[in-house]
Amino acid sequence: MATELTAPVETALAVEVEGLLDSAEPEGIYRDTRECGGGLLLAGLLLISPPTPRPTKTDAR
Amino acid sequence: MADVANGVALALDGGGGSYALSALLAQDDRVALAAIRVLGADVLAPYALGRAAGGGPDGQSAGGPDGQLVRRALAAYPPGADASDVSRWSYQGLAEATRAFLPDEGTSGYSGTEPAGGGANPADGQPYADRFSYSLSPENAGPAGSPNPANPASPAGSAADAWLRDAPWPKLSHRASQLAALALPGLAPALAAGLAARTEDLARGFVRAVRRRDWLQAAGVGRWLVRAPDVPDSLGLEAGMVYVRRMSGGDPRVALHALAARRFPGGGSR
Repeated sequence: MATELTAPVETALAVEVEGLLDSAEPEGIYRDTRECGGGLLLAGLLLISPPTPRPTKTDAR
Repeated sequence: MADVANGVALALDGGGGSYALSALLAQDDRVALAAIRVLGADVLAPYALGRAAGGGPDGQSAGGPDGQLVRRALAAYPPGADASDVSRWSYQGLAEATRAFLPDEGTSGYSGTEPAGGGANPADGQPYADRFSYSLSPENAGPAGSPNPANPASPAGSAADAWLRDAPWPKLSHRASQLAALALPGLAPALAAGLAARTEDLARGFVRAVRRRDWLQAAGVGRWLVRAPDVPDSLGLEAGMVYVRRMSGGDPRVALHALAARRFPGGGSR
């Protein structure tokens, strides 16, 4: 009877032990500096790039 | 678990003189045994300190109270057939630490149940460091109950140890931190050598963990790094470990890793 009562607790403990031993990484965002730098450079180049030349409007009178 | 980790950390901080694992716990408490199983070989770290420095706690044999307690923990929570690799390595690390740091007088030491998914022990008589090296990867372990061949001397010499060579650095760092208890001196030399070969990746993992505020992972990786050769000075590992410990808000497991890193240095910096 006592064994029947403790068995679920023991199983739960065993599962918890396994979980603690092989725990997943906590959620978090990590941005690689080099990748961020590359992205920033690209964005900067796009911002300072001259506008696309457009055909000049000719007044058709 | 926090109580046990605190007890070990205090013992490491103070030289381990009066440490007794059995004094920290109620012996028949299954939760206490679970804590021992999770902390792994670290529960015997003060004894390793005694071996390394000639100090540490008064000698206990594997038949003493601490040895019996660890044996109970191993018997209570053996890795099952579907257990993770980390669980198996941790199990074997704790068993090896019992043999290594609580040597039995004239007997074969640990004789508890073997894990279901492998992890049978090679023949007695080998140095404990060599005995553990085979289990660097579970693929090296034979089927349950069969002896395993010793790992080749080269730490990353077989296909089974491929993760040590090929795992991307974030994954490598995560796994290394999970196995930080095996960084005790002499416990898993092949694993230490394999990780030392990837010092730069571990250093990147340390920085990544700090930036993610994953203090436990940072402290675990830091433990391997203090043993690794050629750690770049620019990493600021020593100050980094102090920072990690402070920022963890008193997490006992982080404190344990930080103190173990301080107590068991090795390698060098460049």
